[in-house]
Amino acid sequence: MILRLTTFGLITSLFVGVVYVITQPFIVESKEQARLEQLYALAKPLLANGEIQASTTQTLSSGAPATLTNPIEVTAITNATAEVGTVIPFRSTEGYSGTIHMLMALDDRQRIVGVRVVDHKETPGLGDNIDTLKSDWILQFNGLSYGDLSPSDWAVDKDGGRFDSFTGATITPRAVVNALKETLNYLHANPQILETKQ
Amino acid sequence: MKVMTLWLDGLWDRNPGLIQLLGLCPLLAVSNTIDNAVGLGLATMFVLVLSNASISLIRHLVEDAIRLPVFVLVIAALTTCAELLVQAFDYPLYQSLGIFLPLIVTNCLILGRAEALARREPFVISTMDGLAQGLGFFMVLVSLGALREWVSSTLILASLPAGAFIALGLLVALHQMIQSKLKHRRAKVTENSKDRRVRTTGDIS
Repeated sequence: MILRLTTFGLITSLFVGVVYVITQPFIVESKEQARLEQLYALAKPLLANGEIQASTTQTLSSGAPATLTNPIEVTAITNATAEVGTVIPFRSTEGYSGTIHMLMALDDRQRIVGVRVVDHKETPGLGDNIDTLKSDWILQFNGLSYGDLSPSDWAVDKDGGRFDSFTGATITPRAVVNALKETLNYLHANPQILETKQ
Repeated sequence: MKVMTLWLDGLWDRNPGLIQLLGLCPLLAVSNTIDNAVGLGLATMFVLVLSNASISLIRHLVEDAIRLPVFVLVIAALTTCAELLVQAFDYPLYQSLGIFLPLIVTNCLILGRAEALARREPFVISTMDGLAQGLGFFMVLVSLGALREWVSSTLILASLPAGAFIALGLLVALHQMIQSKLKHRRAKVTENSKDRRVRTTGDIS
């Protein structure tokens, strides 16, 4: 009996394994595709006077916040003479479930051009309003830079800040706002991260 | 004849979404737009047909004691495959279905059909039943999606969970209404015929 159950387990695992191996290249491709689409959508305002360059990796100093991966992948948008903006990935592990992966586009004066959630597992119907598919919440950061608000304003309204938190799901927007604040704060102090050497 | 009953049961008489009320979680949660409904409906049908088929194939090898673990194993493996395939070939759909794609594994319709039918019936019948039930579920999911998407532009309630319950309730009521009208007509036909013997038209189980 146990032998039989084990055999079934092995057979089904093998089956899943085969499908996994077959689909994996397609999955990697479609993930990359989705990431690029997000990147293009984000950087659209910058693309009027610049072009997306191949991404480069930068090593961060030891004081970098947990919201940034180290080394970080920085995508520059440049025109003939100078860099007009950058797109960087950042994340939050303080969400309701799993890591929230985000992308942020900044212009040459570190003003937010756009922020997007790339991948998340927040509660459908509550926390997923951080996704542009569900609501425009995340667009309210457009045009802001770290210095525009006092540090205490960079928080959700429940924590005394300026940003709207969803009823019944404060954890998710709080995670996004805090990650954004930490990232901007770090970049503000370490602007060299965004200057990719061509 | 048996095949005919299978199809009638799956699509109408014993429709999984309207009569058996199986698989309510995805039915209510993912029916907010037609796109999602079609996507999840197809994925569920894929898992249901293949699980019915494979469980029917192994039905002589599975003794009673390990029946449930083996069925769950098969369904979980198929759901993982469905998830991988959707992720590979329709990434936006994968993103919008979110948690509900892996949740197919706990769709009671699938284990229900395995228990009720596939573990006793031959391959062709089981596969056919999977198709019929899957299509029945798909139809309800898509009608619910269409109804909710259509109404939600004027009434926001339709896109909320409460709206899902109300819309499903309306669909069930409509189904019951048509069903009782049909029964009524059938009864009339029997009355008019010269044959006066007592007949039972209802289900005897």
